[in-house]
Amino acid sequence: MGRWAHRTHVAGRLAALLGVACHGAARQQAAGPLALSDDAGRQVRLAGPARRVVSLAPSITELLFAIGAGGQVVGRTVYDQYPPAALQVPAVGDGLNPSVEAIVARHPDLVLLYRSAHTDAAAQQLERLGVPTLVVRHDGLADIARTARLLGRATGQDSGGETVGRSIDSLLAQPLPPVRTRLAYVVWDSPPIVIGAGSFLDELARRAGAANVFHDITTPSATVSLETIVARDPDWIAVVRDSAGDTPPAWSRRPEWRAVRAVRDGRFLLLPADLFGQPSARASAAIATFLELLSHRPLTTGHQPP
Amino acid sequence: MKWLWLCTALLAALAAAIVLGPASVPLSDLVHSPIVRELRVPRALLGLLVGGSLGLAGASLQSLVRNPLADPFLLGLSGGAGLGAVLAIALHLGGPWAIPLAAFAGALIALGLVFRLGLVGGAELDPRILLLGGVAVGAFCGAVMTAIVSLAEASELRNAYLWLWGGLSGASWDTLRVIALCLPIPVLVLLAAARPLDLLALGEEPARHLGADVRAVKRRVYLAASFLTAVSVAVAGVIGFVGLIVPHLGRALVGGRHLRLLPASFLAGGTLLVLADTLARTVVAPRELPVGIVTALVGVPLFAVLLRRWTAY
Repeated sequence: MGRWAHRTHVAGRLAALLGVACHGAARQQAAGPLALSDDAGRQVRLAGPARRVVSLAPSITELLFAIGAGGQVVGRTVYDQYPPAALQVPAVGDGLNPSVEAIVARHPDLVLLYRSAHTDAAAQQLERLGVPTLVVRHDGLADIARTARLLGRATGQDSGGETVGRSIDSLLAQPLPPVRTRLAYVVWDSPPIVIGAGSFLDELARRAGAANVFHDITTPSATVSLETIVARDPDWIAVVRDSAGDTPPAWSRRPEWRAVRAVRDGRFLLLPADLFGQPSARASAAIATFLELLSHRPLTTGHQPP
Repeated sequence: MKWLWLCTALLAALAAAIVLGPASVPLSDLVHSPIVRELRVPRALLGLLVGGSLGLAGASLQSLVRNPLADPFLLGLSGGAGLGAVLAIALHLGGPWAIPLAAFAGALIALGLVFRLGLVGGAELDPRILLLGGVAVGAFCGAVMTAIVSLAEASELRNAYLWLWGGLSGASWDTLRVIALCLPIPVLVLLAAARPLDLLALGEEPARHLGADVRAVKRRVYLAASFLTAVSVAVAGVIGFVGLIVPHLGRALVGGRHLRLLPASFLAGGTLLVLADTLARTVVAPRELPVGIVTALVGVPLFAVLLRRWTAY
């Protein structure tokens, strides 16, 4: 309860700050029609920079606030967690099965969707109702830079989008650090689901000097056998979770998981969901957190990376 | 001869499950490898016991409700187990055994509800009422479960469905000990009911005239088969198709007499599940397929061959 009260208090102050910031930014908006192309390969024409934006993915909401368009957000998903100011915006549903009615009730002049089979249908429905949509897909770091710039143009926050884009670009331009340790992200325990390459988390770990032992799996996540995890023998098990605290997940006490060396040794990296749960412009902060967590105990390098 | 064949198939499936896997373990290390000792052996044995239980429960229930389409999960247990598991996740029940225990409790509650419905108005487990009651209870639990999953915000719940699809990834020596304690009584009850089940196949009236205590037999068989299913679902989720198809395989192999059909269904169910799980673990390694998909992929062609033979009779 205490944590929640703290959150909403901060949220109010941040909202006020951001409101001021956006007011100033609104003046630099370029008038006139915009032609944009989105990640579904569509050409979208807007009469001008969008002023009432509904975001249907937590990562899009976060990016909008990051580029300074937070004041233009009039709808978000129920899953949004960050920034706290976003929680002041009315929620319009869960994002993946969008409620078109709830979205239209917010009178948006632009709806932003994360690309998936579900959202393609909703985008078409919204277009038929005369609401412009942009479908974006940002899974990796390079995608975040691209999406930030696109959102910047769509909302008239070109310079904000460029700033975020450039910070990600400079992060990407840095050489990869040497691999010092190896980890596996465990998303679910039964059946075991791990994170593969082509994900934000895979990139973050690598940039913190930790190689994902499931980097050979090209999809963002996959079900694997427990014995595969045992055989690949990661030094760490990374877990993204909502709750704070440093108790290892309950499943780590199940006997079959004791076959994994990192589980037996209690080598868990507990990553907070509000920083690691979605691709975000705070990648540098996430990498810093990662490095700090890795430094808590001495690293072992029992195996060479594949 | 048929029994020799069944046992050989089972031993071959067990051997394959222990030798094959996504991690390469040299044959010389087979005895010492912790992967084999702690993961593959318990998993293969769990597959044998769960598959056997589902086959046995399916054969008994098909005879009880005299319907070849009956499946152990048709009687509402999967819905109850799923609801229990989802509630455990949503309420953040701690502990490594919270989900299996909650699923078991949910399955038992569904079992009790359907049993009670089956006795309403002196129906005495009328097959039609049992089936309808099972479908209704299952659908109701499914609806509540879906409502919880779509309304709650815990991201873990989105994975709850994965658990429901079933699998043997929770296998350990502890799981095996628990299931080995739970199985003997219901298995013995069902085997002891083999003769009355033969009579019941003739119809309830003739069975009564031939001296079977129809009321008691039906209750015992229903409770024992459902209990077996509830134990299976608690340790391995809802593994479809084994309970539906294996009894028919058994009938084709050893005939309809229950003293032979029931053990054959146990052996065939165990073999099918161990085989399917080995394929699920190895075919797309390092990834893994849900075992329920493989049981259907392996089972349906067998089933199709059977159907052809039946129509030829």
